[in-house]
Amino acid sequence: MKANKLLLLLSSLGVLALLVGAMVQENFLKEWRRLQGAARPEAGGIDVRLRQIVVPALHVADRCVSCHVGMAPGEQAVAAIPALAPHPSVGHDPATFGCTVCHAGQGRATDKADAHGTLPFWPQPMLPKPFSYAGCGSCHTHLRVPNLAQVRLGRTLVERYDCLACHRLDGRGGTLRPGDGGMEGPDLSRVGATGYRADWYQDHLLRRVKAPAGPWRASFGGISKSDREALDVLLSSRVGAPGLVEAKALFHSLGCRGCHKVGGVGGDDGPDLTRVGERDPGRLDFTHVPGDATLADWLAEHFRAPATVVPGSKMPILGLDEEQIRLLTFYTLSLRRSDVPEAFWPKDRIQAERFGEREFATDGATLYGSFCAACHGTSGQGMRYPGMPPFPAIGNPDFLAVASDAFIAATVRGGRPGRRMPAWGKKDGGLRPDEIAQVVSRVRRLGGGATPVEDRKPPRWVQGDSKEGARLFTAYCASCHGPKGEGKEGPALNNQVLLVNATDTYLAETIRRGRRGTEMEGFANPSTVRPALAGTEIESIVAHVRTWEAGK
Amino acid sequence: MSPTPLDSALHRFLRNLREIPEHFRASAVRGGLPSTDRTRSTFVFGNVFLHLHAVRAHRWSLRWSTTWGLGVTAIAAFLITLVTGVLLMLYYKPYPDVAYLSIKDIHFVVPTGRFIRNIHRWAANVMVVAVLLHMARTFYTAAYRAPREFNWLIGMALLVTTLGLSFTGYLLPWDQLAYWAITIGANIAAAPREVTDALGMTEFFDPGGLQKLLLLGSDQVGEEALIRFYLLHVMVLPLVLAGLAAVHFWRIRKDGGLVRPADADRRLGPPPPDTYPVFTEAPAKTYHLAAIVRGRTPAVGDGPEQTVPSMPHLFYAEAGVFMLTTLVCLALALVADAPLKELANSAVPENPAKAPWYFLGLQELVSYSAFMGGIGIPTIVMLSLGLIPYLDREEKGTGEWFGGPGGWPLTLQAIVVGFGAALLVEAVVIRFGWLREWFPAIPQLVITAVNPGTLLTAIYGGYSIWLVRRYDSTRAGALGLFTCFLCGFILLTVIGTYFRGPNWTFYWSPADWPVH
Amino acid sequence: MTVSPGPARSRLDPEPLPRRDFLGLASLGAALSALLFATLGMLRLPKAAVLSSPSKKFRVSLPDTLGEGVAYVPPGRSVALFRDGKGVHAVSTICTHLGCIVKPTAEGFECPCHGSRFAPDGSVVKGPAPRALAWVKVGGSGGNYVVDEDVRVPSGTKVTT
Repeated sequence: MKANKLLLLLSSLGVLALLVGAMVQENFLKEWRRLQGAARPEAGGIDVRLRQIVVPALHVADRCVSCHVGMAPGEQAVAAIPALAPHPSVGHDPATFGCTVCHAGQGRATDKADAHGTLPFWPQPMLPKPFSYAGCGSCHTHLRVPNLAQVRLGRTLVERYDCLACHRLDGRGGTLRPGDGGMEGPDLSRVGATGYRADWYQDHLLRRVKAPAGPWRASFGGISKSDREALDVLLSSRVGAPGLVEAKALFHSLGCRGCHKVGGVGGDDGPDLTRVGERDPGRLDFTHVPGDATLADWLAEHFRAPATVVPGSKMPILGLDEEQIRLLTFYTLSLRRSDVPEAFWPKDRIQAERFGEREFATDGATLYGSFCAACHGTSGQGMRYPGMPPFPAIGNPDFLAVASDAFIAATVRGGRPGRRMPAWGKKDGGLRPDEIAQVVSRVRRLGGGATPVEDRKPPRWVQGDSKEGARLFTAYCASCHGPKGEGKEGPALNNQVLLVNATDTYLAETIRRGRRGTEMEGFANPSTVRPALAGTEIESIVAHVRTWEAGK
Repeated sequence: MSPTPLDSALHRFLRNLREIPEHFRASAVRGGLPSTDRTRSTFVFGNVFLHLHAVRAHRWSLRWSTTWGLGVTAIAAFLITLVTGVLLMLYYKPYPDVAYLSIKDIHFVVPTGRFIRNIHRWAANVMVVAVLLHMARTFYTAAYRAPREFNWLIGMALLVTTLGLSFTGYLLPWDQLAYWAITIGANIAAAPREVTDALGMTEFFDPGGLQKLLLLGSDQVGEEALIRFYLLHVMVLPLVLAGLAAVHFWRIRKDGGLVRPADADRRLGPPPPDTYPVFTEAPAKTYHLAAIVRGRTPAVGDGPEQTVPSMPHLFYAEAGVFMLTTLVCLALALVADAPLKELANSAVPENPAKAPWYFLGLQELVSYSAFMGGIGIPTIVMLSLGLIPYLDREEKGTGEWFGGPGGWPLTLQAIVVGFGAALLVEAVVIRFGWLREWFPAIPQLVITAVNPGTLLTAIYGGYSIWLVRRYDSTRAGALGLFTCFLCGFILLTVIGTYFRGPNWTFYWSPADWPVH
Repeated sequence: MTVSPGPARSRLDPEPLPRRDFLGLASLGAALSALLFATLGMLRLPKAAVLSSPSKKFRVSLPDTLGEGVAYVPPGRSVALFRDGKGVHAVSTICTHLGCIVKPTAEGFECPCHGSRFAPDGSVVKGPAPRALAWVKVGGSGGNYVVDEDVRVPSGTKVTT
């Protein structure tokens, strides 16, 4: 029995010791206690206890404010300690939605590592600090964002016309009014959301006339109409989170929507990116991604070398520089569209998801930059990626000289079934007729505005010998267009949408003139390896091509 | 006015008031403090919580090497899970998604919540291990022999209930680990379909489907399953376990205490000097009062008095083991957190999806044949275990570790055979595959009949029968069979835990697992 | 009880049931029947009349861009639909081994739980799965179909588009 008494004694002492240890760990050694306690010397100090922001409708109980006390409603910020600083002004009070809706992370946690969520089994780690504004994408989506060139032009104009002398914009500029206080001009950083008067220019002119000496006289001057339009484009895009707008504008310049859908609009070759910013890094393959196993790193590396990060990916290396990669990473991180109740949806999301409002501006340049640029080149020069047939140079002047607007529009609308060109007018998430028209006019401008000569002939006028045409085709055309016109280096000629919409004139003229700068020679002229083709020979080739048209 | 007489009602009232402390104590604790043998006996006998114990305990039963305190460990672990479980019930909410969040809250903001939850999880594991070890101890000391046969069966029921408690609790956190482990478990419950499908009778007779439906309340793990498992885990199974435990302890009493060798009294040596010989004065008399009982009492008049009062000897032993169990659970709880993965997501299967560790050996067998691994082999094992007391009616070696013909050398040999056969069969299957790899068109029933599980069972059974004939003893066969199954169980569990990766493919280490 | 002793009886030959005991027996029998009936009734409770999961019969429309041999899995459903020249068919993605959901791959289907592999038509290629994946009933035409996961059809049945 003595042994048992000893067993009881030692075990009980052990239990006591462990209980004391647990007590100390929980009540004295917690990070948030130490952090709050450190603030004591400040005036008044902080009441040391757990804090949280609870929003039942969002299932949020965010205890971030146990460490970041300064961000809780009604709490004192402490200047000396960075963690206890107040929340920067971003248009939302943290108490309204909590913290994790925007920043992600594990709000219910009370330790730093758990709360920041950068550990296994938490699918939504906190967004990295440089990309904090990507959290706006949890609920918001900027509407009608133009391409980057337009945004940059707008900014340049703002600088050149010295608007910042009076106005604050994206954290820069503005002057305090002497005397009665206030700013000389309103902060323009959010006018895209709040709105501004349409006749601002006339109003400014009037004031200038009436104003005594001062900024009105010194800074404000005449602005040309086109510049005013460019400024309007910029101002409409000012809705807060300016870096994110730039990033989205870049996305609308590189043609990403040609292969990827975002918000239901785009191509189907690549995965849908609508919620790529919410992907769980625990489910990604990081074997070829250096650095931390974070989603931001994965996305950035993927932009650098897609097929290395995702073996078997068809996405080519785009040759982006580091700043572009940073912006694109920023934008794709913001593609979140979190599952928040509709009552919390901001206007822009309702407009986009319920009313089909476009997220991209619908001018030709932005549309082309959003949908076409990746394949056809930013200037319509065509692109060549390894392992893929080359994409045609649709900005080629010779092409534009024979292609009518109707033909180009029909191509955009109907695509090339069986090939890489989607039917943008017919597919799910494609383009609207007015948008297609904008794209067509943009394409024409890219080629220098060349327009075809009016064609008086009927669409089908060729009467050639298709057998002779077959012989000639095999001799001169098949090496690029394939023996049955299925397309190799050159486009597919047996494509039904092409054949239905192309006139015989188009086909004949293309063969005759060729397309400068591409492999398509002008066959009406001789070359070093073949003689010139006569008009009848060209027509027989056209007749042969026509035999592939269905219904013939 | 004349002075109040000393025995007036008022005096009596005041006197009563004064005497309340002493009077209250005497009314609550009858029989006085346990300072003599007699008061020690009445203390145990007269207390509703303690009187499940016998008043006297045999010294042999109190030796550490007799039982290693495993039974007490198991019940101590149960009590710990009970108390911590009730505390957790203050915050846990048994609804999908909310359950997960409530556990996160317990972990992060409930005072002592993380600690209590960890203790609960570790105590549950300790209980399963203790129950298995206790079963092994009981077997190896042949404590299942007459008159204790039925108690062995009660013990098996307790084993099943313990596993059931652990299994039902496993789902409650509602994380990926829980969700997919129970999906597997429910699909194993539907394993009879393997046979009914092969016979084409599932449409008319589908016990597998019925079992799964009753378990889950639906065809998938969801809110119905969670509330059923919660009900089983917090109320039904604990009550069943408590009831079975009460019967188990009562039977220990009525069977004459824990098992002892026949010559235990002699082997113990002289009793301690302060032991008052209890039964010398009335050697033929037992201390049972009113009950008519068959079976032997601790000691009636033969040999030296080798029993000691339960109070304090037995209770110090029980308390010591209880506190040791508590110490182990607390230490584990401080060092290792109970796991909690991501929120359960029915669209993202865990790969590999593993059952709780005590079922991984079965899952390994299930990967070869769902029916055999899920239903067949467990039934065979349960049946064999249950039949042991009725097939081994020898008397040699009762109460001795590895008692009986063959003894420890036989056990050692059985360990080698048990591990060796399992290792061999597993190695062959892992390296070369099994029947369908060689004969793609083979009927499923052939695989159900001939697979690593049945092969191992046949090997163990054959070995056991050989032992019976070699030693001319059923006990020898039982020793061999039990040991083989124990070793096979351990090896299969180890393989299932450490060497099975995604798609249940064999990998030497988790570093070799392919990334999704 | 009888007042006068009757003829000698042995224990094997008890008195006939007295009538007043009949009431005792009848009442006990009735109580037992009542309890039995109640218990049987309660035994029906655990199996729900309708399950809380969505109906197994549902509408689906195949996307136009669906190529031949490419699986279309309607979101949240455990079937894979295919369309080819001969028509449309649906293969259940519930593994016949232990009910895990199989993943469509380029070579057919793959089960993540124990590595069973199936050919595109559902037949078992490798692994512990005992039977081929079930083909389930598809009705409808012209791009709009109704799939009934509960109704099996023989392997190879296709409904024309």
